[in-house]
Amino acid sequence: MNALVLSAIWGVIMMFSGIITSRLKVVRVVAVLGIIVLLLSTIMELNGTKFFGFNLNGMLVFDTFSLLFNSVIFFCVLIYFLLSGKDIEKVGMNVPDYYALLFFVLAGVTMASSFNTLLMLFLGIEIISIPLYILTGSDKRNLKSNEASLKYFLMGSFSTGLMLMGIALIYGAKASFNLDVIGGTTTELTPMVSAGLLLLLFSMAFKVSAAPFHFWTPDVYDGAPGVFTSFMATIVKAAAFIAFIRLFRGGFTEVHAKWQLIVAIITAATLFIGNITAVFQQSVKRMLAYSSISQAGFMMFAIVSLGDAALEGLLYYAAAYCLATIGVFAILVRMKDYTYDGFNGMGKHHPAIAAANTVFMLSLAGIPATAGFMAKFYMLSVAINAGKLLWLVIIGILCAAVSVYYYFRVIQAMYFKDGEKQEIETGPGFKLLLGITAGFIIFLGIFPQWLIEKLYFFL
Amino acid sequence: MNVSDILFYFLSALAIGSAILVVISRSPIYSVLWLIVTFFAISGHYIMMNAQFLGIVNLIVYAGAIMVLFLFVIMLINLNTDAKPQKGKWLRLAGTVAGGCLLLVLVAALKNTEVKGMGVQVGTGDIGLINQLGKALFTEYVVPFEISSILFLSAMVGAVVIGKK
Repeated sequence: MNALVLSAIWGVIMMFSGIITSRLKVVRVVAVLGIIVLLLSTIMELNGTKFFGFNLNGMLVFDTFSLLFNSVIFFCVLIYFLLSGKDIEKVGMNVPDYYALLFFVLAGVTMASSFNTLLMLFLGIEIISIPLYILTGSDKRNLKSNEASLKYFLMGSFSTGLMLMGIALIYGAKASFNLDVIGGTTTELTPMVSAGLLLLLFSMAFKVSAAPFHFWTPDVYDGAPGVFTSFMATIVKAAAFIAFIRLFRGGFTEVHAKWQLIVAIITAATLFIGNITAVFQQSVKRMLAYSSISQAGFMMFAIVSLGDAALEGLLYYAAAYCLATIGVFAILVRMKDYTYDGFNGMGKHHPAIAAANTVFMLSLAGIPATAGFMAKFYMLSVAINAGKLLWLVIIGILCAAVSVYYYFRVIQAMYFKDGEKQEIETGPGFKLLLGITAGFIIFLGIFPQWLIEKLYFFL
Repeated sequence: MNVSDILFYFLSALAIGSAILVVISRSPIYSVLWLIVTFFAISGHYIMMNAQFLGIVNLIVYAGAIMVLFLFVIMLINLNTDAKPQKGKWLRLAGTVAGGCLLLVLVAALKNTEVKGMGVQVGTGDIGLINQLGKALFTEYVVPFEISSILFLSAMVGAVVIGKK
């Protein structure tokens, strides 16, 4: 609750900071301060300090998992603001408003990670989505950005409509929005519940861009300004996954066996389409869009198996994936050329950045000693423990092998091809922060228990 | 079959029929007008379920304000009937098949549903009255009510960001 109230308030503070000062550096410092406040207040709530004593009527439940996830997300946003804050300023004129919208998204993220009624799920998903439609179109002079924004808005509101219809059907069958009531009484699939379940499944699959609901993703991620693509592909996608698993764990665990196969097929299709299409991309930005689809496929393993281990795995995967992708995008948005050729010779001209980028790519590909390896390992092991889904695990491993090709193309371009020196605007702070992020990824890869034990530390 | 049943079936048929006409009308103006009819039919349902306040608000906000905006926008961009983009034959066929499949699945699923044979329950609930609604909104549902202000605030900020030069 701390973070929810504070992020809403800080959004308003960001709006006023634009009136009080016209110096963008001050605005950036205020934003970084805000995210530190959010992070600290969430950690304090983990330790039992609550600032606000509202009577929530059981609509939001802030348990250890959701608070820990929020802390991970706020930490990633802190890294994101520090790495890409300067690039947000280059998008357009209304920088304080962009920050305000980002803070409102964070308010939605805290709701999506801790809702206990379908009403709150809907509000959270909407608060996440609406600012994103605007941020996607914030580069107003760019036609591609406008197109992406319109496309995202139309498709997004259609999927929200599906979600509402699913909620209405479930409410009609159970006469309650509360997940505890729904989960407690859904012991078999009656027609109305199954229709509602399917509609909810489709709309959530759309929000996490799982196949066959992924068609908007490449266009939107490609068209949106790079800094906001980074935010959408990491923070928002992870939050949508947490909402997804919370919804299906809370509401439909008893009938898990009946819908497991559908989710398994969606997972296999997501892995297959995401990886195969990513191989053929020429632009690294578009490749990362498809890579985010394929990473979503791996996170879908958590929904397929739905156990306690799935929660641990998803938390860990979210941290590993967000850190690596934020790092890659932070480098990418400072480059002029988004194709693979743009990376040619980077190893010679910018050795520090190239080294950090290599770590990020290795982590995304899932090479041992990086966090990405342990994350994929966790996901595959929860799927194996769930039993009878060995075919899905085999597809997952094959697709992980395919993904190595397109991630390593970047590494190959950086070290084994010669190219002109590209101007990348960097200071020592940027390089240091990239180094810290890369180091943190390796640290998480070697000591995965450090993060996962936290789940059971605060009780 | 008493009066409320007849009214229920009439309003339901009106809502579904006009909703279909919204989709298949060639001119956007007709689509908007049929949409207004749909809203009226749904408001009729609300009023039958003793939710007068919701019924009237639905009329004022949707049929009144939003539809007038729709009509203005359509008039401003001056859409002619022949300006409609022609879709390919295969695309239309694929759309029909996909939509038909969804309809088939939904009808097959909801054919045996738990509320089968239940018409409208006239005058049973009182949550749609302004008194009860206000009480529910400001006691039990006060947190989501306040949180929705974040949603509207972000939409307003967004409108300014998009609208400003």
